[in-house]
Amino acid sequence: MSKISSTVTIGLVANPFSARDIRRVISNATGLQVSDRANIVMRVLSAISACGVKRVLMMPENGGIRSFLKRDLQRDQQMGDNSFAELEMTNTSINGTVEDTFAATKAMVDSGVKTIVVLGGDGTHRAVAKVCGQVPIAGISTGTNNAFPEHREPTITGLAVGLAATGRIPESVAFTFNKLLCVKINDGERSDIALVDVVVSTERYIGARALWRTNNLREIFVTFADPEVIGMSAIAGLLEPVSRNDSGGLHVLLDVPEQAKTALQVPIAPGLISTVGVQSWQQLEPGIPFTLRQSSGIIALDGERELEFGPEDTVQVTLYEKAFRTVNVGACMRHTGQHRLLVGAPLKC
Amino acid sequence: MSDNPFPLSRDELLNIYQTMRTIREFEERVHIEFSRGDIPGFVHLYAGEEASATGIMTHLREEDRIASTHRGHGHCIAKGVDVKGMMAEIFGKKSGVCGGKGGSMHIADLDKGMMGANGILGAGAPLACGAALAAKFRDKGDIAISFVGDGASNQGTFLESLNLASIWNLPVVFVVENNGYAEATSVDWAVACDSYVDRASGFGMPGVTVDGTDFFAVYEAAGEIIRRAREGGGPSLLECKMIRFFGHFEGDMQTYRAEGEVDDIRAKRDCLKSFSKTVTAAGVLSQEDLEACDTDVLSLIEEAVSSAIAAELPIDADLFTDVYVNY
Repeated sequence: MSKISSTVTIGLVANPFSARDIRRVISNATGLQVSDRANIVMRVLSAISACGVKRVLMMPENGGIRSFLKRDLQRDQQMGDNSFAELEMTNTSINGTVEDTFAATKAMVDSGVKTIVVLGGDGTHRAVAKVCGQVPIAGISTGTNNAFPEHREPTITGLAVGLAATGRIPESVAFTFNKLLCVKINDGERSDIALVDVVVSTERYIGARALWRTNNLREIFVTFADPEVIGMSAIAGLLEPVSRNDSGGLHVLLDVPEQAKTALQVPIAPGLISTVGVQSWQQLEPGIPFTLRQSSGIIALDGERELEFGPEDTVQVTLYEKAFRTVNVGACMRHTGQHRLLVGAPLKC
Repeated sequence: MSDNPFPLSRDELLNIYQTMRTIREFEERVHIEFSRGDIPGFVHLYAGEEASATGIMTHLREEDRIASTHRGHGHCIAKGVDVKGMMAEIFGKKSGVCGGKGGSMHIADLDKGMMGANGILGAGAPLACGAALAAKFRDKGDIAISFVGDGASNQGTFLESLNLASIWNLPVVFVVENNGYAEATSVDWAVACDSYVDRASGFGMPGVTVDGTDFFAVYEAAGEIIRRAREGGGPSLLECKMIRFFGHFEGDMQTYRAEGEVDDIRAKRDCLKSFSKTVTAAGVLSQEDLEACDTDVLSLIEEAVSSAIAAELPIDADLFTDVYVNY
């Protein structure tokens, strides 16, 4: 086990804008309030502070989380509680777009954070994963479909992050590798990644971003196919489960249900079970580029429409393994229990 | 049209472009005419925000009612109010849609379902609730829209209207056009809970945020929300995050904006440019289609200004007409 470190900094990205899209209207999806997001951050801060972490570097935003936190921390200090880690904002600009996440994550990586805690949906995690390199991510679900971040009480995630980052849990236990999908248009003229799924639709506009009309879907690629999640990857999960740790992914060809070989009932969004037409599916081997069957349309990454393409474009999708790391919260807490890491007096570094 | 990858026909897309282009040219021209001193009163321009009004109004029919704001020209044009009559109204001429007695902030055309621009911030929301209550009793599936800016969304009238709409399950949609500034005050400083969607859930209705500079984003979200209201699903809130190309009012020095901010948004977040790019890339409309439309619009605006300038002013006796009207 590595030496317990007293100079650990944890990064924190909390998206104030996730879970605001049209799925609130079409499917009764949850809209997590800004004050609830701030409360989650407070719970994470409590837990990682209890592990002896002294400093947290956070993405600044003007969506309200920062101002709630400032007020909450001031109130705690006034009541004599100074146990929280120092909360510092990255010196990055605030535009209210995904660019904020890219810039803040880069600043965190450059300053040597041990782990980045992410509050958001699949889209937020994707944005952090694009920039974080080998710095592990600890995901907390505050989005809509959330196939990527596991559903768990943030206090436990905070404890796992704190114990792992301070060196109390060996890296081989604490961190795990993840797969991702890379989309390249015209040999990289345009490119992007997805952590869970790449979906091809016949539409040619980004619109309200979220996907929910299944008649337009033609192809889906997934890194893992979990039948317990909702969203696009559930299509694959209900055909042939593939775990996050299995090698390879799945590629499913789709069509309108009336013309497809198989009709599948899929929880496509919270509370929305839709019929999806399935033609066929096959294993997706890592490292081998697949060229899209569809000649034009839009590509959705982790459930959000992102990239338009036309007949003049060549689009390839490749699955990569061991692409980035996450904190394995379950393994961390099992290790903590087995080794009685939390027995005794409060932890100090 | 089987190859059309949009939920709208070619003709519908062309009409949408024409509406957005008409709003843009109307506002750019009012900006010029106001600087010449020929327009009385204040004007607040909607340029840069066209995708919001057009994306929403594309789903409306004449019987649906809208309550607008002080920045109402775009709402009027998208709801079908006569452009020449609007220009004459802004010039304060007798041929205006309100006889030249309303001006920019009080343009109304009840025959088109346009209940009026409104100089009182937040005053449109209760009007929309009233129209929605009437629509509910008539039971023909009509709805009402209340437009409000980010600043006026802090008004008591707006918050009371959210409550009323929710408890009466009214067919009303509250559209918060968040352009980032309440006059000169940044929304980041002025809105307590920092999220309009959170406000909606506080009143028991769904709320959705969309990129208000993307026509298709507004169109899709508004379509679902309006369908819900028509079918008895009750009120919803739609926040359109958008930008304005001009100041709060004409003459605003805009010292609260960052250097180069307006040039940057005109270059990168122009809803007309993004709409044009999307529909031409898909091959549904050609550049020639759009340019022909531009020519028609410029001609219309030129005629509107010429006829407004040439029109007569109201006379003293007009003060005593239109004081009370039957709805």
